Amino acid sequence: MSSLIKLIAGELNRLVKYKILPVSLVTAIIWIVIFLFLSENEAREITPLLIFVDVAAMSILLLGASHHLEKQEGTIRTMMVMPISMGQILTAKTIASMILAIESAVVTSVALFFIHGITFNYIVLLLFVAIAGAAHAAIGFVLSLRSRDFTSMLGLLMGYMFLFTIPSILFSFGIIDAKYEWLLMVSPSHSASHLITSAVTGNFEIGMVIAGCLYLTFLSAVLFKFEVYPRFKDNAVRG
Amino acid sequence: MGVAFSVRDLHFRYPSSREDTIKGISFDVLEGEIFGLLGPSGAGKSTTQKILTKLLEDYKGDIEYFGKNLKSMDSSFYEEIGVGFEVPVHFSKLTALENMRFFSRFYRKTANIQELMERVGLWEYRDVKVAEFSKGMKVRLNFVRALLNNPRVLFLDEVTNGLDPKNARIIKDMIAEYRAKGGTVFLTTHLMNDVEQLCDRVAFCVSGKLIEISTPRDLKLKYGKREVKVEYRENGTIASAVFPLDGIGFNEEFHSLLKTGKVETIHSGETSLEEIFIIVTGVEMK
Repeated sequence: MSSLIKLIAGELNRLVKYKILPVSLVTAIIWIVIFLFLSENEAREITPLLIFVDVAAMSILLLGASHHLEKQEGTIRTMMVMPISMGQILTAKTIASMILAIESAVVTSVALFFIHGITFNYIVLLLFVAIAGAAHAAIGFVLSLRSRDFTSMLGLLMGYMFLFTIPSILFSFGIIDAKYEWLLMVSPSHSASHLITSAVTGNFEIGMVIAGCLYLTFLSAVLFKFEVYPRFKDNAVRG
Repeated sequence: MGVAFSVRDLHFRYPSSREDTIKGISFDVLEGEIFGLLGPSGAGKSTTQKILTKLLEDYKGDIEYFGKNLKSMDSSFYEEIGVGFEVPVHFSKLTALENMRFFSRFYRKTANIQELMERVGLWEYRDVKVAEFSKGMKVRLNFVRALLNNPRVLFLDEVTNGLDPKNARIIKDMIAEYRAKGGTVFLTTHLMNDVEQLCDRVAFCVSGKLIEISTPRDLKLKYGKREVKVEYRENGTIASAVFPLDGIGFNEEFHSLLKTGKVETIHSGETSLEEIFIIVTGVEMK
């Protein structure tokens, strides 16, 4: 078994032991309960928002919590003196975070099918959740690495959400006019929201979907290469 | 005996600092020896260890590990070294055994976890979550963690700090056994007992500089008091006299005391390493 697979297995094991995965599942169950009280149309409308919240906000929050806990426990430091690369450590953590987002999307999709018989293109949804999940994992790392502790990370997350996530939510409620959507795509939150909404509703605006995918992929690459990678080791070593 | 680490004119400055933390130090760590880096807090001991373990890389100077440039070595370097950190480094919600199994999975060759945990008295607590461990138990688990890959070189930072005398003795015995089997140890500490009992050679580190490198014995010979103290009983009370060690064989007063007095104890007046450290560096250990 390669080191990367062992690292991912370790991350998943800790998601269970540290109760992060169970908490995520409980959140998904709350969504299921909500679906029971909604009509098919209402459920179809609210689904992209629920998946988006899991991908964009919950994944950042859980990654931040896990990062600051591991930093406090010194485990990142001890992993730095093991025969594994920093790239492998970061990849494993990113994949674990993406798995959380995918788990939520899968539970939501299964619930929608059994409760309302709603189906959509699951492959496309998983692809978009993975792309959005990677970008938000990178954002989660940036916020974690730029904060002293989890509390200060929450402050940064609030600032990020105020700037990028709230406008996207306002857009989804029709408060921001549709003509501004291209401008909103600069927000990673909105790009993610647009991709997830497209996959769930089946309405693909090709230009925006391609732009969203490319933008989030490019953003992930830039953040990991120039922000996360250089700071991660220094952050772990200095504690 | 080969050279495990050769360090030449090492300088290091943290990005946020205005001056170098390490100011041009040079030393060798020989294969099979226990090399102690001794100094007060903030002297640069831990920074030096972080550089040698490749945790800090933006240094100036040359470091060779068994003849290879340290900077050129990839992550396989960590197959050969074991690092015992001063602070606990375990997943608190995992048990001690789960932690050790997780870390050992990444090494090609591994030590017997049960044997190591039994030796430090933790095997019976193997299924207890590390969060429930005392400080001393975490320190012992740190030590086991450092030995998981049967390392060629062992880095230990304040290895007995927080341990009771009995457990400190066990750890020291294990370090001595590791050295006896050919292992090399780089020990950073401010605890004189550890140095006196373990180290083959010791370097005094103050403000990022090495002031003296020698064996504990040579340091004592060079800087220690050379005297003999005799305690004897006289008129029902304990009295004492101190004689210079040089020429003791011809010291009439000393010989007369041995013949006539009721001698209770005789001690050579050894100066402790702590006193020597203060003499050499002018700095008190904190």
